[in-house]
Amino acid sequence: MSDTQHEKPMNDEEIRTDGGTDTGESFRQRVMDNPKPGAIWLTVLVLLIAPELGRFVDWMLALGGGIKFIFDGFVAAPAWIGSNFEDSLGFVAGAFATDITALLMLFVLAALLRGYLPFHPDTRLGLDLSRSRRVWFERGFLTTVFAAVTAVLVFTPLGALLRNEVGFYVGVLDSIGDMQTLISRETIPNHGYQTPAGDWEGTFLGLSPRYAWLTRFLLVWVYAAVFIGWLWQGYNVFREHYRAMDWTPRDDVIDRLRSHSWGVFGIVVVLGFIVLALFAPAIATYPIQENVYQPYAEDSEFKYFNEESGEVEMAHHGDANLDSRSQGEGSGTVSINEYDEYGRYAPLGTTPSGEDMMTHIAYGAQTSLTIAFVSITIAVFLAMLLSLASAFYGGIVDLMTIIGTDTIISIPIFVLVLMMSVVFSQGDVWIAEPMDGGFLLALIYAFAYMPGMWRSIRGPSLQVAQEEWVDAAKSYGQRPLAIMRKHMAPYVMSYLIIYGSLLIGGIIIVTSALSFLGYGVTEPTPEWGRLISDGRNAVATESWHVSTVSGAMIAIVVTGFNALGDGIRDAIDPQAEANATGNAGGGA
Amino acid sequence: MSQQLASSDSTTREKREKLVEVRDLKTYYGDSGMFGGPPVKAVDGVSFNVFRGETLGLVGESGCGKTTLGRTLLQLEDATGGEVRYDGTDITELNSDQLYEWRRNAQMVFQDPDSSLNDRMTVGEIIREPLDVYEWETPADRRDRVRELLETVGLRPEHYFRYPHQFSGGQRQRIGIARTLALEPDFMVLDEPVSALDVSVQAEIINLLEDLQEEFGLTYLFIAHDLSVVRHICDRVAVMYLGNIMEIGPTEELFTDPANPYTHSLLSAIPAPDPTDTAERITLHGTPPNPRYPPSGCPFNTRCPARIRPPEYEHLDDEVWQGINTLRDVLLERKRADRSIRERIRERLGRQTRFATVEETYDELFGGLQIPANAESSIEQIVEHASNNDEEAALDVLTEEFGSICESEKPEYHTVSETGRKSFCHRHDGEHRQPSQVLEERY
Repeated sequence: MSDTQHEKPMNDEEIRTDGGTDTGESFRQRVMDNPKPGAIWLTVLVLLIAPELGRFVDWMLALGGGIKFIFDGFVAAPAWIGSNFEDSLGFVAGAFATDITALLMLFVLAALLRGYLPFHPDTRLGLDLSRSRRVWFERGFLTTVFAAVTAVLVFTPLGALLRNEVGFYVGVLDSIGDMQTLISRETIPNHGYQTPAGDWEGTFLGLSPRYAWLTRFLLVWVYAAVFIGWLWQGYNVFREHYRAMDWTPRDDVIDRLRSHSWGVFGIVVVLGFIVLALFAPAIATYPIQENVYQPYAEDSEFKYFNEESGEVEMAHHGDANLDSRSQGEGSGTVSINEYDEYGRYAPLGTTPSGEDMMTHIAYGAQTSLTIAFVSITIAVFLAMLLSLASAFYGGIVDLMTIIGTDTIISIPIFVLVLMMSVVFSQGDVWIAEPMDGGFLLALIYAFAYMPGMWRSIRGPSLQVAQEEWVDAAKSYGQRPLAIMRKHMAPYVMSYLIIYGSLLIGGIIIVTSALSFLGYGVTEPTPEWGRLISDGRNAVATESWHVSTVSGAMIAIVVTGFNALGDGIRDAIDPQAEANATGNAGGGA
Repeated sequence: MSQQLASSDSTTREKREKLVEVRDLKTYYGDSGMFGGPPVKAVDGVSFNVFRGETLGLVGESGCGKTTLGRTLLQLEDATGGEVRYDGTDITELNSDQLYEWRRNAQMVFQDPDSSLNDRMTVGEIIREPLDVYEWETPADRRDRVRELLETVGLRPEHYFRYPHQFSGGQRQRIGIARTLALEPDFMVLDEPVSALDVSVQAEIINLLEDLQEEFGLTYLFIAHDLSVVRHICDRVAVMYLGNIMEIGPTEELFTDPANPYTHSLLSAIPAPDPTDTAERITLHGTPPNPRYPPSGCPFNTRCPARIRPPEYEHLDDEVWQGINTLRDVLLERKRADRSIRERIRERLGRQTRFATVEETYDELFGGLQIPANAESSIEQIVEHASNNDEEAALDVLTEEFGSICESEKPEYHTVSETGRKSFCHRHDGEHRQPSQVLEERY
């Protein structure tokens, strides 16, 4: 990172004078001094979001739902532990265990949030405590505050009131989320029926379903491209007008990444994958609820032109699916870019059970993305914590980490994942419910891949722990956690991003492999690997598209993530490319 | 030993206040594990004082323990034994809270400006961090203080938002110095602060350090291996060898009239700019001993040019002495080496092992040398013991025949001048000739 600006001689003229020189200025002040570029950018951003507001709110609600799911799990934990005690030791012990568990959890929360206290409660109370006592005092203080708030919420009507209040706001957001957006099935419908005259009824501008769908599909990509471009523009505006630093080491990394064509290919593929997942409701040819989940529900009925009777009739998706199965010779295969007998257009053909492939691919991307993202986030967090702690403290902490992770590594990763997913899904635990086991799978991946990640960043962690700036921080009494966060984590993080993006490819493949074997994500949640498995018998027939398309998607996305990882690696450390080509993948 | 040191210090420098008192300080590495073997004795019983406002230089070869000593003084390493008194408090005994409070008094400037600054942080953040740690005043005040510090060390306030990458080595060292000044310490350990810099920049940094000392009344422990820099900046100098201080005293005196044989050899390594200078260089043979297995007696005895010799061998040829010293090293090494069973069997069978035979060693060391008869018979006796794999007996003979007080006893600190300069050598005890005379004669 040191080549471009390193040892550049300083002279006074070079120092910029357009507001970046005064060191006292805050970001807010710089915005106030020169609001125009920022205001323009923000206005355009709002204009871009406005037509798709419903979709953005939907994403937020989905994210909120995920957080609520985890939160509920934590809230349920004390009562669950308490009930276990109650079964064996009686009511009092159970209640006691519940309270203790709740207090312990609040204490952990307090310990995590203590650093963000804006004042020292002990000085307010006139106590002058030493540093470690102050830390304990503040933890205790925060725990007490949290416990009091919890008690008030649980034992008084205030809790119910608050819940109502939150429910009301969620309801408001829900109704915003239901609002029609520009690029949606409602605005650009692609499902209609042909009149005996041959015209299309119910489709966008009376176009045939093929072109109606294509219009929507293309609009999604244009919108996504413009939006992402505008976010990049926002970064440029910030960099040019509002950032205090003229130059940061990250600028060089970004510049190198931009000129790295393989890396740019990776970025494009990965962004495409993310857009495919996020816009799945708009890209899917039919609503997944009607086509896949509940094909015999009342809503899943549609009109179609029956050629035999020559009349417009009604049919359920479920019945129509039975006639459109792509199972090989003579099964009524609907291949790529074809209509089935019910006038339904299938851009990628149908699955062996007659469902629409495009719908499966788009929602399958959602499944893969969620699993990969959740598992990588957890694995990265754990691996970083363990490697920094073991590098910083060394000795017994290091040894325990090595023993623990080596134990996990010693089991082949696929066997481990297979075993755990069987055990947990047979055990019917509550975490196995979301996404038909997808969330559980994410947790299993985090557990199984974390040791490998830890291994691969162990070297860099040990290296950075030896740097003199870590000693310097110790010499002025910086706390160990702060040293790890400020002086070690940034150096390890870049490696984790690289390994993470390489591992995502592996996770997508393993997920598919599990689905292929009949484990992991089960029906009806769409998953690419299951499509390969379902269609593999018919590869040599006219139904070749089922396995081929899903297989090609996996190959492209995995290659994209690997390209992104390579690009970031070369951008972060230009020398690494020359030195060791196989190094980065070593830990995966 | 420590008592004696302390008392002689107080007689000569009563007026001056002691800021740091080090007593019999030991820092050993690697003695915690079960399988570690003997520890590395990086600092092995060191005592000295640092007076308020002075600059104490600490010189010595690489690996002699000077950096470890500096780090131990700041509690970056845990002392194995002894005490470090700062303003009367023993800081090796402080608990973590007290240590945190104490740390703002003493700071360190590191050797490598490339490695001592976290280059993912801006200069402002780097200098501000100590202030943040101690929650100094308000954040706005801290920013002002950083700008002030930048000016103090000769940088500009505008550099607040720059990254270390954008600065040269000298400028980076200035940033490091600004960071150490942030908490207004009294005592600073400068760990080779200029050795990574260009010569022209070295002078600037040295001048800056001198100015700062004057302005803020700082006390420095200046660790260096560049003797000319030490001579320029230091009031007193301590010379270290293998974890021990060999000589300590006022700079000029020590440089012009060294007492300890090690100081002699160190100073003779300074190249003289005078081409007519014919003074013989004292060349030290071999490398410093492994600090895991320091020699018995005086730490310098294996390489000392003025080692006390038994009277009957006083005039033995230098090369023979060198051979004897090497032979002793080899024997010690053989004694330590664990011989595997396999190797013993190979030896029995007359096969080659990774140990050269003693005869080979003998030929290599003494082949072609004129050895007086009495010495020759002793050496042959040694070799015979050794070839029977009885290194113990061989070493006993060697010590009896060629050994002296240098190997058998640890020297004491002898005061060698009125200024309280002390030297760690047996030759000052009055029974032997002074090192300078001996060196004059031998070189």
